Amino acid sequence: MSRALAIAVNTFRETIRDRILGVIVVFALLMIVGSLWLASISLGQEGRMMKDFGLVAVSLFGLIVAVFVAASLVHKEVEKRTVYVIFSKPVGRAQFIFAKFVGLAATLACVLAGMGLFLFFADWAVSKAPSAMILAATALIYLELLVVVAVTIVLSTMTSAILASVLGITVFVAGQLSRQALSLTSLGHSPVLKGLSWFVYVLIPNLNAVDVKPSVVGELAPDWSQVAAWSGYLVAYAVLALLLASWLFSRKEF
Amino acid sequence: MMTPMDSTAKSHALVVRGLRKTVPVGFRRKQIEILKGVDLAVRHGDVFGLLGPNGAGKTTTVKIVVGLMRPTAGAVELGVDGAGETGYLPENPYFYEYLSGREFLNLCGRLFALERQHRLERVGELLRDVGLEAAADTHLRKYSKGMLQRIGIAQALINDPKLVLLDEPMTGLDPVGRVEVKRIIESLRDCGKTVLFNSHILSDVGELCSHIAIMTAGKVVWDGSVDEALGASNGGLEQFFMDVVSS
Repeated sequence: MSRALAIAVNTFRETIRDRILGVIVVFALLMIVGSLWLASISLGQEGRMMKDFGLVAVSLFGLIVAVFVAASLVHKEVEKRTVYVIFSKPVGRAQFIFAKFVGLAATLACVLAGMGLFLFFADWAVSKAPSAMILAATALIYLELLVVVAVTIVLSTMTSAILASVLGITVFVAGQLSRQALSLTSLGHSPVLKGLSWFVYVLIPNLNAVDVKPSVVGELAPDWSQVAAWSGYLVAYAVLALLLASWLFSRKEF
Repeated sequence: MMTPMDSTAKSHALVVRGLRKTVPVGFRRKQIEILKGVDLAVRHGDVFGLLGPNGAGKTTTVKIVVGLMRPTAGAVELGVDGAGETGYLPENPYFYEYLSGREFLNLCGRLFALERQHRLERVGELLRDVGLEAAADTHLRKYSKGMLQRIGIAQALINDPKLVLLDEPMTGLDPVGRVEVKRIIESLRDCGKTVLFNSHILSDVGELCSHIAIMTAGKVVWDGSVDEALGASNGGLEQFFMDVVSS
């Protein structure tokens, strides 16, 4: 446990000290500030625009951090041969994969907490009332991104970092749309399309199930029991993905 | 792959028997045998030099011993308690450049689950031993090649190992760096550690090693003591090496 913790802390240190991360966060904060302007030109919808645009910024920039860092997380260690030092010590491959994930999850928590709190206070200033739903939505975006991180780590053990990044983003987009695609194709008559959309729905994590952005802007009241159940599903999905990554990584030689 | 040693070979820190390794090469994944039955025996307390031209299989052999690669056939038997009592310096080491020397050694100590107080003491001790006390809090990206090699040796010693495997520890070092690394190996020998190192620099091997093995084309073609090697050739270790490799 202490070995895994050492690797996790080191991963956190590595990613948090990365200058690129600072640049991405600054851009995200600028985009949230930009939503203040958008709110000012939306008559009677200031709060809604602020929340909507701000949460998209949190999601988008969180995704950039999650995917690009996750794709290079294990790859960089292999390419730069730091794994030689790690695996010549009593450290298991699965221990390494899970620890790297935990380290990045901690970095992502800091990034999303920063962006979420910034949006929360900016919205409070505009709407003159605090919205705890912004914080809940940010927490659920964090959960979605953790699943994307786990899937991207699996992909990075099989392919290049660039391709793993592209596929990671594809999984995120498909995870937002798979439920709607299934509903739409069920209305049609093509068995091939129906089968395909069902396959994608089963294979790709259903990230949309924990998306509460419509509730933040007051469109729908969230069904928290459903959100809790789907959150459990996403946690299980991430754990399975990490187990698969560990198995794939344990077959590698350096 | 790495197994405890049988009772007949307890006097050895490392025994390698019939080690073979085949790797797929190219698009068609053609199988190439890079180790063709390597046999080695390194006694406790020896400084053992593994010599050979480029591509002879030295690094692959060491990587299999450490567990970074799996053998296709054969076995590695350790007379020490696995990774817990083994230290390893890879060839051309690359470490986490955003860490300072102290932070890096501290991380390595944590990977051996060393208790905090003992770990901090050990880190300080090693930084002093390898002459990096002044640069302890400098990021590794600012280290010279020689300093990286010394911090690499320090990380290999963090667990106070009985068996130390050094892959090309002198390569790319200037004369001062070579002398410093040689002193470290000498002090390991004086402490009774078993050291196995790969090298192309035969003068260093002659100075430091008690035993050598010469590998070529994936096999050990000669092994014995340095004195035997020197006795068998009038031209010193270099000539002996050339004779064995070309024969």
